[in-house]
Amino acid sequence: MSQPELLEVQGLTRYFDVSKPLLNRVVERVPRQYLRAVHDVNFSIGAGETFALVGESGCGKSTVARMVAGLIPPSKGAIRFDGIDRAAARSSAEERKLRRRFQMIFQDPFASLNPRWRVDRIISEPIRAFGLAADAQEIEHRVGELLKLVKLDPADGAKFPHEFSGGQRQRIAIARALSNRPEFIICDEPTSALDVSVQAQILNLMRDLQDEFGLTYLFISHNLAVVRHMATRIGVMYLGKLCEVAPSHELFSDPRHPYTRMLLDAVPDIDMTGRARTPVKGEVPNPINPPSGCAFHPRCPHAFDRCRSEEPLLEIVGERHGASCHAVAEGRI
Amino acid sequence: MSEPLLRVRDLVVEFPTRRGILTAVDKVSFDIAPGEVLGVVGESGAGKSLTGAAIINLLEPPGRIGGGEVILQGQRIDNLPMEKVRKIRGSRIGMVFQDPLTSLNPLYTIGRQLTETIQTHMKLSDADALARAIELLTEVGIPAPETRIESYPHQFSGGMRQRVVIALALAANPVLVIADEPTTALDVSVQAQIIRLLKKMCAEHGAAVMLITHDMGVIAETADRVAVMYAGRIAEIGPVREVIKHARHPYTEGLMASIPSLGHDSERLQQIEGSMPRLTAIPDGCAFHPRCPKAFDRCMKERPELIDAETTRAACWLYDKAEAAT
Repeated sequence: MSQPELLEVQGLTRYFDVSKPLLNRVVERVPRQYLRAVHDVNFSIGAGETFALVGESGCGKSTVARMVAGLIPPSKGAIRFDGIDRAAARSSAEERKLRRRFQMIFQDPFASLNPRWRVDRIISEPIRAFGLAADAQEIEHRVGELLKLVKLDPADGAKFPHEFSGGQRQRIAIARALSNRPEFIICDEPTSALDVSVQAQILNLMRDLQDEFGLTYLFISHNLAVVRHMATRIGVMYLGKLCEVAPSHELFSDPRHPYTRMLLDAVPDIDMTGRARTPVKGEVPNPINPPSGCAFHPRCPHAFDRCRSEEPLLEIVGERHGASCHAVAEGRI
Repeated sequence: MSEPLLRVRDLVVEFPTRRGILTAVDKVSFDIAPGEVLGVVGESGAGKSLTGAAIINLLEPPGRIGGGEVILQGQRIDNLPMEKVRKIRGSRIGMVFQDPLTSLNPLYTIGRQLTETIQTHMKLSDADALARAIELLTEVGIPAPETRIESYPHQFSGGMRQRVVIALALAANPVLVIADEPTTALDVSVQAQIIRLLKKMCAEHGAAVMLITHDMGVIAETADRVAVMYAGRIAEIGPVREVIKHARHPYTEGLMASIPSLGHDSERLQQIEGSMPRLTAIPDGCAFHPRCPKAFDRCMKERPELIDAETTRAACWLYDKAEAAT
């Protein structure tokens, strides 16, 4: 693909301090304790692409989204948006300009909308914050336009969030995200709180909006079928590390990393093809004390000595396709 | 079909409110055969969990059974006094709920919870009950059950806790297990393990299962028959393969098409316009008609009952013989 990269993430790492309080540490003589939520994650997203991060709960996918959105700073690593380093641009006019080009859609539309604000105020908040409209009339016009865009009635602006169903609330959240005309939207599990028939409406709407405005999405989800439907490229995360990155169709037709294979196998077979599923062993280990070497080795059917001692790096296995697995690198699987 | 294990006839669950009575489950009827797995699917608010709760009389007040009958092995159980219902719960009907952290008591070891359940329903000595508890934990795949039996629920991971809950549900050899969203709180890789386990355990213990979930994939893999619920009523009921592959009711058809699948590519998902009506505003006639692409006059006025629709039964006027004749 020849698209210019819009977002580049390099060596992104985030630790959370989960130590006991100071007194306990002194009395019990225990050191500080850190949780490695995200470790050395690299990826890039081209303009107009939908890049998805998938993984089970606790794998760090939401933490990556929040760092990209600038809600929490990374412990290490760089996030470059359109060539501008976010850390360098922090707390300056540059940062403000950058912020306008981003937006975020959250998982729970019941929690992400202020219940005491009317919908028009919710949607126009980014317009006001960035000073994108000259007067109240222009704001009102723009809010009406946005509501129509997400297939709601412009008159709905006078209502409160509780008067809407979950799907309609998520539409309001999308309208708000579009109000400052961003180029890049970070979607953190945008449909996992919704019913399937409503999920289909929201996913279709998101794709239509992408076509109309040339949006770039970073799409976080645990649902592989949804990701397959939405993404052009997919990154699979496990315990804070990216274990495979591949174009969407390739990840599903030719998964390389054993964890990706396991995840694909675990999806219930709704087409009833009678596909034999290998049962998955074990559960995700505690991230405070991750296994040595490759974090996946205790559950991996292909693990050998090297996996227990040495951490694998993401290596190229095909065009824009990378996997971090010793067995794949050595050509065993 | 042989004598059904559970017969539910015209079950109504209602909530009295200041503005009148809301009917959340409206004349639902179905049977479960011995050893059968019946899936109940629907979107949130369709009444699937309330149906399950009503069968074992666990409705949260002010919810109440407003009519109908629940018959377990020939005995009517919906109008029994609380004391007798409590005896049935656990001994003849086991339960598995969504969140394994709230369905286990955090203050007792899992061993104590298991032996208590076993001794409530079976006359066993302490030692025998303990042996049975360990045996159950082994069956559900808890490693080192002899030592783990002394652990508290918080010392288990989510998947392991749900295994304990399954062991609890089957402790007294019930004939029916009602599983309400048993895998919704779990990750996909663990979900597959639990579904497999639930199915295996119930088959080995000869228990029928009523599996309530919103996940069609889980139903496709597990159930023998499936009932699709919409706005408090059963829209379609039939063998799982028929309902999934050849849905007859327009709602089931739309629902199936709106699920993104791993198997095939599509540019757009088919969507059902609108959303399920609120209980306060269930439309006249067929509750689905405002969203139905095939609705005609009769659907707006008359409410369809379940009608034979080839291999399934669907509550839709499209399958009415009289309608076909005109």
